[in-house]
Amino acid sequence: MISARDISKVFNAGRPNEFTALHGLSLDVQMHETTILKGPSGSGKTTLLGLIGCMARPSTGRIFLNEREITSLPERFLTEIRRSTFGFIFQQFNLIKGISALENVMFPAYPTGEKFSTLRKRALETLEMFDLGKRAEARIEWLSGGEAQRVAIARALINKPMIIIADEPTAHLDTKLSHEFMGIMSDLKARGTTIILASHDPIVYDSDLADRVVEMRDGHVVDGGTGP
Amino acid sequence: MAIVIERHRHIIDYTLSSLLRRKGKNGALLLVYTMIVFILASVLFFTHALKREAALVLKDAPEIIVQHTLTGRYQTIPVAWGDRIGKINGVIAVRPRLWGYHYDTLLLANYTLMVPAENPPEPGSIDLGSGISRTHGANSGDMIAFVGHDGVPRMFTIRNILDSESQLLTSDLILLSEKDYRDFSGIAPDQATDLTLRVRNPREYATIAEKITRMYPDTRPIMRSEIQRTYDAVFGWRSGLMIVIFSAAALAFVIFAWDKATGLSAEERKEIGILKAIGWETSDILLMKFWEGTAISLTAFLLGIIFAYAHVFFTSSALFAPVLKGWSTLYPTFRLTPFIEFGQVATLFFLTGVPYTITTIVPSWRAATIDPDSVMR
Amino acid sequence: MAPRCSTLFLGSTAGLALTLGGIFLHASGEVRASRPVFARKAALARQLELTDLCLFTEASYTRHPSMTDPSTPFQDAPMSLEHFPSGGLVGPPPHLVSTHGHRD
Repeated sequence: MISARDISKVFNAGRPNEFTALHGLSLDVQMHETTILKGPSGSGKTTLLGLIGCMARPSTGRIFLNEREITSLPERFLTEIRRSTFGFIFQQFNLIKGISALENVMFPAYPTGEKFSTLRKRALETLEMFDLGKRAEARIEWLSGGEAQRVAIARALINKPMIIIADEPTAHLDTKLSHEFMGIMSDLKARGTTIILASHDPIVYDSDLADRVVEMRDGHVVDGGTGP
Repeated sequence: MAIVIERHRHIIDYTLSSLLRRKGKNGALLLVYTMIVFILASVLFFTHALKREAALVLKDAPEIIVQHTLTGRYQTIPVAWGDRIGKINGVIAVRPRLWGYHYDTLLLANYTLMVPAENPPEPGSIDLGSGISRTHGANSGDMIAFVGHDGVPRMFTIRNILDSESQLLTSDLILLSEKDYRDFSGIAPDQATDLTLRVRNPREYATIAEKITRMYPDTRPIMRSEIQRTYDAVFGWRSGLMIVIFSAAALAFVIFAWDKATGLSAEERKEIGILKAIGWETSDILLMKFWEGTAISLTAFLLGIIFAYAHVFFTSSALFAPVLKGWSTLYPTFRLTPFIEFGQVATLFFLTGVPYTITTIVPSWRAATIDPDSVMR
Repeated sequence: MAPRCSTLFLGSTAGLALTLGGIFLHASGEVRASRPVFARKAALARQLELTDLCLFTEASYTRHPSMTDPSTPFQDAPMSLEHFPSGGLVGPPPHLVSTHGHRD
C-alpha cells in the first residue's frame, strides 16, 4: 500500500510566484488495484503523481511505500526505488528523438549495469508484446502516434515494475487509441500490476478498470480518498 | 565489477547514440579538434627532434670563435690577431677559418663555401654537399663551374659528394682548398673569416672571451655553449610563426568551450529531465556528459598524435614544407630521427583534453540536478 | 545486428592507444639505431668545424644563426621588416639577445 499523510507541495516558496499545489492531502493507494485521480487541470494530480512516484519530495508530510517511509531518503535510494518499483507513462510520451524505439525502451535500465544481452532480449520481447517487434530499430520520429504510445508503455515496463503511473495518458490520443490504451492497462491489471492514472478524460475515469476514483480539486481530495 | 563496467558501457552506448544524432556537427567538431591536435603535435615533434639533432651533432662545435666587427657588422679578421690571441693563458691553438657565401645567379641559390681544416681538396677540385649535387645533377668526377667575385667563372672537378645522410649539416657546402677559396672570393691574403680557438679548460671560456675583447675591443667571441643554445631558440615559442599557430589553436578551443559553456539548449535540458524521470541519477547524467566530452577529445587526441607522428617522421613534415622552404632554392629534406618525449605527449593530452571535457560537464551540472518531476509539467 | 556502439568505440580507442604505444616503441628503436649515424655526423661537424645546421639557405642569418650579428636581420635600417619567410621561424639566438653575462 502507498500512504500519503498530510502532504503539501509548495513551489517557489518565499518568492512572489509562490504556489501551493497540494494542501495537507492524505491518500491511500492499495496494491494490485487501479486508482484513478480525476479532476481538472490545476487540481494537483500531476504533482501528486510525482510525489508518489518518488520523483520529488513533499514540502511537508510523509509518504510510505509498503510501510517504508520514503520521504526522507537520500536521492540515490529514492532513484533506485523509483527505477525498480515504478514505471512512468507521460502525457507527452517523452521518448528521446533521433534514437531507436528499442534503445528508448532499454534506457531506464542502463544505470543498473544489467548485462546487455539480457536487457536487449527483454526489451525486444516487451516490444513484441505490443506488436512492435518489426519497428524496434525504427527511430521515434518515424513511428505513428499509436506506435509511440506503445513504445512509451513498453519503456515503463522494462524494469518489471510493481506500479505503473500514467499522467493524462489519453490526452493526445483519439478515441480508438484511448480504448486501445485502456485495453493494455487491463491486461497489466490482470497480471497484478498496481496502476495509478491521472486523467480528466471520461474514457479513463468512467471505465470499469477503476477500482477507485479519487476526485481532486485545488490541491485537495474532494471525494474518494480514504484516511488510515 | 562487471556491473560497474556494464553501467559505463551502457552510458557510453547512450552517449554515442546521442552524438550520432547530429552526425554533421559532431563529425565536424571531431575533425577540427583532430586537426588542431595534429598541427600542435606536429610542431612539437618537429621542433623537439630538430633541437635534439642540433644538440647531438654540434656537441663538439668549435670552443670559441672570434669574429671581427666593423660598423656593427661582422667583417674579415686579420690573421695576425691570432698570434696575440694565441698567447692568452689557456688557449692551446688558434686557427683561422675561411668560409663564406656564394649566390648562384643561375639557380638563385645560396651556397656556403668552406676551407676544411683536415683533408682539403686539391686546388682545382671540390667536395659538394648533396643538395648542390642534386640541383646541378652533378656527381663525383664531373666538372662544375662557379662565377667568382670578379665575375670570372672557375671550373672545378668534383672530388666527393658529401653523404646525404648528413644533409641537415652539409647540404649546401662546397669544400675547397685555401688557395682556390682566396682566389674565388677575393679575400685578402692576410685576412680570414674568423678564428677558432682550442682551449685547455672549458671553465675558462668566459675569462678568455673577456681577455680577447679587452685585447681587441671590436671582436666578438662566440662560445660553444652559445652555439648550442642557438638551436634551442630556433622555433622557440617567441618566433612569429609559433605564436600564430598557438594562438589559433587556443582560439579554436575557446570557441569550443564557448559553445558548451553557454549552457545547454532547451532540448538538451529536456532530455536530461526525461532521463532523470525514467530512473537515471545525477551521477549517471554527469557520467554521460563526461563520456560525451571524452569520446570526442580522446579520439581526436589519439588520431591527431598518430597522424602527427606519421607526418613528421614518415613524410618528413610534408605539410610544413612550403613554410620551411621559404624562399630558399636549396633545402634539405627534414628526415628527422623520432625523438619524442612522453612528457610532451602527456602535457598535450591534458592541455587539449581536460579543459574540453570540463566545459562539457560543468554547464550540465545544474541541469543534472533538477528534480525529475519537472518533466511531468 | 550491428555490434554495440560502445564495443566499437572502446575497441577502436584501444586500437588507437595501442598504436600510440607502438609509436613510442618505434621511436625508441629508431633513436637507438641512429646512434652511429649521429656519431658520424658529430665527427663530420667537428672535422669541418661547423657551427650550424643547414636548414634555411635563404639568408646568412637564417643559414648561420649562431654566427650572425645583430644588424644583419635588420638589413639597412633598424625598422626594416622581416622579409625572409624563415626569419619568422628562426628566433634570434639567446646570446644576441642577452649581454655577455654568465655563460655555461
